Amino acid sequence: MQDTKPHIEVRNLEIYYGNVPAVRGVSFSVELGEQLTLLGPSGCGKTTTLRAIAGLEKPTGGEILIDGIPVYSSARGVNVPAEKRGLSMVFQSYAIWPHMTVFDNVAYGLRVRKTSAADIKDKVARALGLVQMSDYAGRSASQLSGGQQQRVALARAFVFSPSVLLFDEPLSNLDAKLRADMRIELRDLQHRLGITSVYVTHDLEEALAMSDRIVVMRGGVIEQTGSPDEIYRLPSSAFVADFVGSANLIRGQHRADLSTTETIALETKAGDIVHGMAYGRPVGTEVEVSVRTVHLKLSLDRPSGAVNVWSARIEQTVFQGDFTQVHLAWGGQHLIARCAAMEPIDVGQEVFMTVEPKRVVVLGG
Amino acid sequence: MQSAGSPISAQRLAGYGVAAIAAILVLYPVFFLLQASLDVGDPQVRPPTAYGFDNFSGLFQYPQILLNTLTVSFAATVMALVFGFVMAWILARTNVPGRRSFEQLMAVPYYLTPLLGALAWSMLGAPESGFINQIWRELGFSGHIIDINTPYGIAWVMALFEGSVAFVMIAAVMKSMDPSLEEASQVMGASRLRTMLRVTLPLVLPGVLGAGIFVFAEMLGSFAVALVLGTPNRYYVITTAIYQLVQQYPPKIQTAAAMGVSLFAVMFVMLFIYRRIVMGGSYVTITGKAFRPRVADIGPLRYLLLGVCVLYLTAAVALPLLTLLWASFQKIAVAFPHVSNWTLDNFRAAMSMNAARSALTNSLLLGFATATIGTVLMGLLAWLIYRSRLPGSGAIEYVVMFPQAVPRLVFAFGLMWAWVVFPVPIYGTIWLLLIAYLTVFLPLGVRTIASVMMQIDKSLEECAQMCGASWGFRTRTVTVPLLVPGLVAAWLLLFIASVRELGASILLMGPHSKVITPAIVESWFGTSTELTATLALVQTLVIAVAMVVLVLVTRRIGAQRVD
Repeated sequence: MQDTKPHIEVRNLEIYYGNVPAVRGVSFSVELGEQLTLLGPSGCGKTTTLRAIAGLEKPTGGEILIDGIPVYSSARGVNVPAEKRGLSMVFQSYAIWPHMTVFDNVAYGLRVRKTSAADIKDKVARALGLVQMSDYAGRSASQLSGGQQQRVALARAFVFSPSVLLFDEPLSNLDAKLRADMRIELRDLQHRLGITSVYVTHDLEEALAMSDRIVVMRGGVIEQTGSPDEIYRLPSSAFVADFVGSANLIRGQHRADLSTTETIALETKAGDIVHGMAYGRPVGTEVEVSVRTVHLKLSLDRPSGAVNVWSARIEQTVFQGDFTQVHLAWGGQHLIARCAAMEPIDVGQEVFMTVEPKRVVVLGG
Repeated sequence: MQSAGSPISAQRLAGYGVAAIAAILVLYPVFFLLQASLDVGDPQVRPPTAYGFDNFSGLFQYPQILLNTLTVSFAATVMALVFGFVMAWILARTNVPGRRSFEQLMAVPYYLTPLLGALAWSMLGAPESGFINQIWRELGFSGHIIDINTPYGIAWVMALFEGSVAFVMIAAVMKSMDPSLEEASQVMGASRLRTMLRVTLPLVLPGVLGAGIFVFAEMLGSFAVALVLGTPNRYYVITTAIYQLVQQYPPKIQTAAAMGVSLFAVMFVMLFIYRRIVMGGSYVTITGKAFRPRVADIGPLRYLLLGVCVLYLTAAVALPLLTLLWASFQKIAVAFPHVSNWTLDNFRAAMSMNAARSALTNSLLLGFATATIGTVLMGLLAWLIYRSRLPGSGAIEYVVMFPQAVPRLVFAFGLMWAWVVFPVPIYGTIWLLLIAYLTVFLPLGVRTIASVMMQIDKSLEECAQMCGASWGFRTRTVTVPLLVPGLVAAWLLLFIASVRELGASILLMGPHSKVITPAIVESWFGTSTELTATLALVQTLVIAVAMVVLVLVTRRIGAQRVD
């Protein structure tokens, strides 16, 4: 651990289209070799941020540093054009040039760098091998299927050994099955190349499966930054809790008298006491907690000894294959529980509902 | 301070360079046109000694011209819309035999040029010598059955050729209508007639209205037909009046300029309204998406409609061409020639006559030069307007599209007036024509290239940039190769447009820089009908060759496109 300088650093990035803000003061950094994902719903500014790093979008304010050197800085009036930033990118549309062969597509970046013909042949062959497209080198690019175009776009992006790879929703145009396969392959390839990458997606599973770290964005600002596990386990806001997986939100008054050193207690409007954990976050008098739908356990008999045991009434059940989604009425509030392999329950039946306090996460912070 | 290296400045330099050229081309003559229209001083003195609006108020001394223009334009618009609507409905919505081929043939009248139609219909329908009237008398009747040298004759010929424009616009509207809108009406229990009246018609109406306004604006600015069919009877519309005022001695430049500016103002307003209709919210249901329209099975009636299609194309294409062919092989063109009347002399004359030969050579040279320089210039402009994000590209679009709203004759007038005082003596030379063509065809070229450019996904260029390619390198290796089919199409369209150009050329050509279309007009009024027919055919042949190449190229674009 000698050099801890981040590979990419984004400071207070602002991007306006006219008067419309797309990105409003976003800061994060990417370590060398790290895979960082920008996650958020469409229109949250994630793609705009990525394109600003690439140099395809001119920000309005802030700074972008690569290897500690500013490539964009509003204060210093620096804006290095995209082609001089030494990055590479995989586009959502793949952007395969239809007038070239697969080989020429992949060789493009090498030819720009005036690599010798022998070297080009070598490197292109190796790159196509890595994405399992060796047999297609002579093929015209317009004859490829979506998945094949995706692989060629990938080979073209890393063949000239860029320092950073940017991905703009590269899997969103593939069908579900292929997407799942490519996800694993991409992750594997990224590890083998050890390349720093920034990945943009609106797909939660993709983000969780592929990233070292996730930046959740919404409305042009960052909601939360953390490892996939942190983001999932300890969402810091109602938005993250709901966007990353599905969650129930419960509000109540802080009951300091019932809280312990480990747990925080709150009382809901209906008078139920909920025990949760703050994970070092500040706790006010109004507390909001998030409980993942999969962590709510239902049973017909009262579970013995546990805290957080409440009774609720079944309003509706929806069978969804791997799990059943159960809608519950609980003290004037509606909750959702996802139960795997559940015995059929009748609508209107009273059940017991329980959750471990560590799964009840205090929001905010 | 900087790190924006040379690529950006090369890009900027190229961008603002072509923008400046376009601005000069367009705005310099417009300035002189406006100046002349406001000049109320001594017409012999330039620059003007006094300014005012007297020229415009003086226009009210010509009420007849205004009335003539409105009569002809209105009649022609109504007829063109009827032709266009009927043909569009038949070809887009019924199962008439050979729909596909007819649809492609519908473009032919547009390329034949109204001048050719006017010449041919004059040979067919002149009260005394017209072939149709000769046949009429041969059948034992007396007098004439048709007279083409009337306002409605002029409107008829204009409508025949503008009909194909109306067709294209109305057919596009019919094709872009989601057929499920009609199906929904029928599922709800409405009869076919009710569906037609309550759903189909209201949906296509804005489109038809838009086409009507567009066609009317075109009619106001049209020149060739009224020149050939109107002037012999001293029947003037505004464009021929402007031409007359400039050509007569002494010329009334100031009045002509005021007429030109007024005409331009009216056309500008009409095209503005047209744009508002097309872009406005009146078409919520008609998206840019092309649907496969529902085709009605009309049973045996389809042979009747086939007859309608054949009739239209006969009147607009076959009959004019055959007439010219018939006349070009005769010494004195008549409907029923004697054997001794047949001759090849007209073709010999067309090829050997100095004036005709040099006019054709000049036209071809100009066509090549305009197309080649124009493709580069307009390609850069299209890129500048629609692709580069250089500031000010929106304003450049307005400047470039400006000539669209100005009749070419009026524009040429401004050019003439501008370049007469230009220190470099290019007035009366072929160079001035080149400048004129490059200016008046700016909208055509930029639009053609832009339509192909828009189909190229932006990320294809961005990806080259991410691979490290400089602007020059990626333009050469990605942008231009992808654009080649569009550039070739633009080249051919510019070539065709140049070779058939009349309105600008007739004012600007000098005695030693004649070009083919005005030469045909001169021959019509000065030499002989038969030679004129021959020259028109030769010109048509040149255009036809370019057309065939164009069709082959655009086919290839279609085949090459990938999703």
